[in-house]
Amino acid sequence: MISSRGPRTSGAVAVYVIVLVAFQVFLLTVAVEAFLEDQETLAWATAAVSVALAAGAAMFLRWLRP
Amino acid sequence: MTDDVGTPVPLWRRDFPYQAGAEDEVTRREFTRYLVLGAGAMAAGNVGIAAWTQLRSINTGEPRPIVTLADVAIGQTFLFRYPTPDDPAVLLRTGDRELVAFSQKCTHLGCVVYFEADEDRWHCPCHEGNFEAVTGQVISGPPTRPLGRIDVEVRDDGQIWALGRAE
Repeated sequence: MISSRGPRTSGAVAVYVIVLVAFQVFLLTVAVEAFLEDQETLAWATAAVSVALAAGAAMFLRWLRP
Repeated sequence: MTDDVGTPVPLWRRDFPYQAGAEDEVTRREFTRYLVLGAGAMAAGNVGIAAWTQLRSINTGEPRPIVTLADVAIGQTFLFRYPTPDDPAVLLRTGDRELVAFSQKCTHLGCVVYFEADEDRWHCPCHEGNFEAVTGQVISGPPTRPLGRIDVEVRDDGQIWALGRAE
């Protein structure tokens, strides 16, 4: 069924969602490997990127508010 | 909001309906709210893993006795735990009063390594990593860093002491 209000999600939003979720899962995998290898530098770098992505998502949510 | 039989519909079911016709109920903002929660949870998990990795590497261990020298024959190994009960380690007696000790965790992905006397090396069976017996340096396989070395010494009473993990 097609919404009477038309498409609700732009291509840019879809790409953003896919990239964000996929990248976060990837970062979690890298963090676990860094833990197993005792590489704290890599673990912290991964955490920093992950937090930045989450902050970006939060800013995106704020931008969507009417 | 209730369903056909008057049961209250939970918020998650309203946001993610079973039927396509109800998809109008999902707004970009609601979807993004879940996205932010998911991303935040994964970011928190990443920070937690990083902190755990950092805390674990800080503990280099306090000096403590492992075993008496007479209980380990030349060319034999002795398994112990150091610096915590969760850290497997292994001691190898290479000579009369010559000993080396390493963390038993492979530096690739943390599998347990064991001593191969025939090849005079430490071997990781998970991904075929090999380390030199005395130095712990990588010989072959996927590991890029040597085994974690633990400083040991034999004291006058014949006890072997672990002195701490070498940095």
